[in-house]
Amino acid sequence: MLSIALGELIQIFRNRLVLVTMFVIPAASGAGYIYLYDKVPGLDRGAVAAVLMFLIAAMSLYTTAVTTLAARRQNLFLKRLRSTAAGDTGILAGLLLPVTAISLAQVTAILAVLAVVAGGPADPLLLAGAVLATVAMMLGLGLATAGLTNSPEHAQVTTLPILVGTLVVAGWVGFTGTEELTLLKRVLPGGSASELVVNAWNGGVPIADSLILLVPTLGWVAVAIALATQVFRWEPRR
Amino acid sequence: MVPLPVERAGGWNGHMSSTPVIDVERLNLTYGDFHAVRDLTFQVRRGELYALLGTNGAGKTSTLETVEGHRAATSGTVRVFGQSPRDRRAVRPRMGIMLQESGFSPDLTVRESIRLIGSLTRRRDTVERVLGAVGLTRKAGTKVAQLSGGEKRRLDFATAVYGAPELVFLDEPTTGLDIQSRDDLWDTVDRLREDGATIVLTTHYLEEAQQRADRIGLMHKGAFHKEGTVFELTQTLPAEIRFSLPDTAPPPPLDAARESGETFLIETFGLQRDLHLLLGWAHEHAVELRELQAGPTRLDDVFRSIGTA
Repeated sequence: MLSIALGELIQIFRNRLVLVTMFVIPAASGAGYIYLYDKVPGLDRGAVAAVLMFLIAAMSLYTTAVTTLAARRQNLFLKRLRSTAAGDTGILAGLLLPVTAISLAQVTAILAVLAVVAGGPADPLLLAGAVLATVAMMLGLGLATAGLTNSPEHAQVTTLPILVGTLVVAGWVGFTGTEELTLLKRVLPGGSASELVVNAWNGGVPIADSLILLVPTLGWVAVAIALATQVFRWEPRR
Repeated sequence: MVPLPVERAGGWNGHMSSTPVIDVERLNLTYGDFHAVRDLTFQVRRGELYALLGTNGAGKTSTLETVEGHRAATSGTVRVFGQSPRDRRAVRPRMGIMLQESGFSPDLTVRESIRLIGSLTRRRDTVERVLGAVGLTRKAGTKVAQLSGGEKRRLDFATAVYGAPELVFLDEPTTGLDIQSRDDLWDTVDRLREDGATIVLTTHYLEEAQQRADRIGLMHKGAFHKEGTVFELTQTLPAEIRFSLPDTAPPPPLDAARESGETFLIETFGLQRDLHLLLGWAHEHAVELRELQAGPTRLDDVFRSIGTA
């Protein structure tokens, strides 16, 4: 797994576009928030944290995971890896480990800027749990989407529903709360994870009430993995 | 000559034996309504070079991919080293696979690609040895995207022979290679065979199969049309003697059929005997056999006979 991950990391660092994007997204997001902090006083910090986290999770992690898997399948690299003694789980883990690590670093950097500018989270451990659950969900959704994606170009289309959907849900839940349409907001992908981030950052919610929000997020992980096992392909369609 | 690595998995002694490395029993493969492979049964013995040949769409690749473990059989059993080839952890360290298409990451260099795939084979070897064995030492730092088609085939071959596996699958290994590279590739295969490796080959170059295969499975429409040694396969069709005679010559012996104009054809299952008789007849009648050609049946002829069977 580690040798596959190292190979992926080498490729990422040789791709200037990916490299620039890696730094531009967190830098632009951080700068954007600092700008809004002055212009829009009283902006809910938890909601901002949720949106920024999903910005990275959707744009950097999810879309890159889908594009990477589609590209590796299209040029038969997945088949090549399966010609070795490596197991399927190890291959997928190796391919997705670098982008996951980079995305986590980006989320950490952005949330660190938010903490420095506007004050840190009330419960950092809960926030870490929310981030990890979100990462797991987006990876699962990425695997499932990759199964429906024929090529990296096709990924620009197939990733749109989840990409836009999770960002909209994160903003909706973050800025309007879950007092109304509670069930709907929590079961939508990213809804309960966003609420969890808001609770972790702003505080004031009993820990038990927050932890229960992990269930829908992990439920989405299970659904995505189950879907991926049905639709994921290792070779291009003939 | 680049030596093979000393250490091998499995503790095998490298001699050809009757022990089947590959044992396929009543293999069937279907894709929807399409029956790609029908009741295929064959074995490949340790140390053999077995060539799987056939017409386009005959089911060679499907069969090969099933034996390699890339594909599950619809029915029937496939055993490699006595185990299911789907058990990659158990079987893959002992086999090398040269795919029909490259499947390397274009942004990695040749050295990085061999190191990556080599490390995943769980066999011991060095990248430099393999680079030397396939003649890619000077391209070690070149990105795969910048390699020619032939160089990519050599890279593919390099990963297949990394660690000198006991069983090597070569799917169209010489397609796109120049003569020198082909010779180099076969030299490496010969060295693997001297060390006892079993080779499974598919190729469209029939002369390669004719020269090198111990046995051949000739597939057509998902089943074996014929299977056996080159001698056994070519024995099923008559050899040909072709010659021309002037109009003034007496009728030739041996039921020679007039092919066109002055040209005659004798089809025979006893080439040496009938050629001796023909030459004796020509000597006796003081007739010159012009443009005399006589040769055994070639694999090409057997291959062509598939369409007429």
